[in-house]
Amino acid sequence: MNHCHRIFAVALLALLSQLGTIDTNAQTGEQGPIIIGANIGNVPWEFQDTSGAFIGFEVDLVTEIGVRLNREIEIINVPFNGLFAAVQSGRIDMAISSVGITEKRLESVSFTQPYYDSDQSLTTVVGSGITGLNDLREQIVAVDTGSTGDMWATANQEKYGFSEIRRYEGLAPAMLDVVIGRVKGYISDIPALLYYVKDKPNLKVVERIPTGGKYALMLGKSTPLTNEVNDIISVLKQEGFINTLHEKWFGAPADPGTSTVDIAPLPGTSSGLIFSFVETFLNMDVFLQTYPMLIAGLLTTLQLGVLAIFSGLILGLFLALVRLYAHKSFRIIVKAYIDVFRSIPLLVLLIIIFYALPFVGLSLSPFYAAATALTFVSGAYTAEIFRAGIEAIPRGQFEASEALGLSYRHMMSDIILPQAIKIVIPPLTNNCINVIKDTALASVVAMPDLLKQATQAQAVAANPTPLIAAAVIYLMFLLPLVLWVSSLEVKFKVGER
Amino acid sequence: MAAHIKLKNVEKHYGNFRALAGINLDITEGEVVCVIGPSGSGKSTMIRCINLLEQYDRTGQIFVDDLLVQRGKNLKNVRAEVGMVFQNFNLFPHLSILKNVMLAPMRTRNITSANAKKKALDLLAKVGIAEQADKYPAQLSGGQQQRVAIARALAMEPKALLFDEPTSALDPEMVGEVLEVIKNLAQTGVTMIVVTHEMGFARQVADRVIFMDEGQIVEQGTPSDVFDNPKESRTQNFLNAVLNH
Ligand SMILES: Nc1ncnc2c1ncn2[C@@H]1O[C@H](COP(=O)(O)OP(=O)(O)OP(=O)(O)O)[C@@H](O)[C@H]1O
Ligand SMILES: [Mg+2]
Repeated sequence: MNHCHRIFAVALLALLSQLGTIDTNAQTGEQGPIIIGANIGNVPWEFQDTSGAFIGFEVDLVTEIGVRLNREIEIINVPFNGLFAAVQSGRIDMAISSVGITEKRLESVSFTQPYYDSDQSLTTVVGSGITGLNDLREQIVAVDTGSTGDMWATANQEKYGFSEIRRYEGLAPAMLDVVIGRVKGYISDIPALLYYVKDKPNLKVVERIPTGGKYALMLGKSTPLTNEVNDIISVLKQEGFINTLHEKWFGAPADPGTSTVDIAPLPGTSSGLIFSFVETFLNMDVFLQTYPMLIAGLLTTLQLGVLAIFSGLILGLFLALVRLYAHKSFRIIVKAYIDVFRSIPLLVLLIIIFYALPFVGLSLSPFYAAATALTFVSGAYTAEIFRAGIEAIPRGQFEASEALGLSYRHMMSDIILPQAIKIVIPPLTNNCINVIKDTALASVVAMPDLLKQATQAQAVAANPTPLIAAAVIYLMFLLPLVLWVSSLEVKFKVGER
Repeated sequence: MAAHIKLKNVEKHYGNFRALAGINLDITEGEVVCVIGPSGSGKSTMIRCINLLEQYDRTGQIFVDDLLVQRGKNLKNVRAEVGMVFQNFNLFPHLSILKNVMLAPMRTRNITSANAKKKALDLLAKVGIAEQADKYPAQLSGGQQQRVAIARALAMEPKALLFDEPTSALDPEMVGEVLEVIKNLAQTGVTMIVVTHEMGFARQVADRVIFMDEGQIVEQGTPSDVFDNPKESRTQNFLNAVLNH
């Protein structure tokens, strides 16, 4: 399952748990383990060793907290952008993922005291000529969707003159594009990047961006567990335990006076209210704030979807005709194409086209990479749909056309295809709907489609309302399509009677 | 205007199975030929070779007027000259009756839609269904559909018409109306080859009756030759079986 789909799934689960009785196990936790959501792969905070076990600074920290609380802990993998909804809904008790404390986030979630002072950083390729933020004028920079780096880059885009901020789903794809050279720098949390470039001599963290980020454990708004855990963190700091972790994972003890060493107060909350269902999922303020982003995303999604659908239709029709009527050798090639592109997961194809083709000198923009991948796959499915449709036309129709002396072109355009179209409309519609939904996968190539924009908006606002709004927008576009086509089918049937 | 159709040693194999075993036939302009014979004897295969719906073996030759029937640019001229009416009508279900008749002339002869329409309405009147012009095929009875199919073939102004059991798919009460139309056509001087099981009809309209069996022409002659004085025992057996049925 894809990243974005998982985010959807998390939001949905969150919604469901909120609708039913709130999961008491997760909320109060009298019995059962403390459920901890972590964006696994976020080095060195939480990632997997070769055996698949979760390790990292924050994994060690919550493990110790579990011991001190005399509670079991269970860590589940949740993508960064899904953590907010998961905590708010009580689906998870706590989130770790080097989550920074922000005013905005404090409106809807709680944080413990921080245990790490972080800054942002700029990472570039050695020898690329970029040695600092000032070299990035008119250049594209990479960030993680909805991260602190994203917020900083967005706020400072004009000041530094970035031509574009491209939003990725994590460090690995972003770094790949930095290495390819399609983006010139990656702005992200400095500890993760220092750890990442340690064994990669071609990459370098060239500038520390002082944002004063402070990492803490994130919990549901005003849950009792917050104070309990916060007290234990105080104890662990006093004992020097957290500093030991610093030494273990960063190779040196933390500087005196930092959050890793000194006990800090519990971050204040701007309002002590627990948000209701409506305020959490249907928050009007959040919606109005993020609405322009969603509209921009919708336009991208529609452009991409419509382009891919039309080019996929043309490609599919062409492939179907070759598959049915061309010389044998062409038929075999086309059949192979269709089989391959129906088997290959779209996500894989997308990644190949976007990240691998540059190595053979073909570098497509995110939009055209996504459009190409969607067209290739949609064309293969469409070809099979057309073929089935054409094969469903009785032989007599071909024979009558031939006997009347119609040319091949007229036979197809006047007799066969108009009848095939009626047969293929339901499966073609399904394919169109799939294409539009699949545009969401373009998130991995940093395409600002509707879901991507919603994800970013929900991370910035620390509120899942934009995701719900995106779901409604998808429905608003896809549902009428389905109804429209059903009515067309009825009309066609009447015409034949 | 009628066509001269000539088959020279025409064979047709499906794999090892020989569906046509050397047919020689010369059909003169305006002649009406009825083809009879048991099921599987190759009647359909033979007439479908004439407009190349089936590709016959390379050893034989078929000429329509002076054109050799083969793949290539001549084929469309052959098909424009030779109309065909199928057992199952094969009307275009997505087009109205009128459009069914108008389509081929418009696409192949570049005539205006107004002229095509006028012509189509004339033909539909001739086969007795002008008032159904705006309906769709599925709204018509079998007999009416077959008459539309005949009008559709006539719209190309063919010099020859091939009928493959035009009444076999019809309910008995509709056979008469279709045969009536075909009989009238036979008067117009167009060359016709009619595969049929309607012996009474064949006797009435045919200039020549051909009896086929096992891919061969076993016997041919005037209706009275073949029906009243069949020389071959296979013909006699067939006629006995059909007429006493
Ligand atoms: N496509 C095909 N592949 C293999 N054999 C075929 C094919 N078409 C026809 N045949 C065979 O060729 C023979 C002649 O068939 P044809 O349809 O010409 O017979 P027919 O005289 O028209 O019979 P009927 O009165 O049943 O229509 C039959 O034995 C039939 O099985
Ligand atoms: Mg037959």
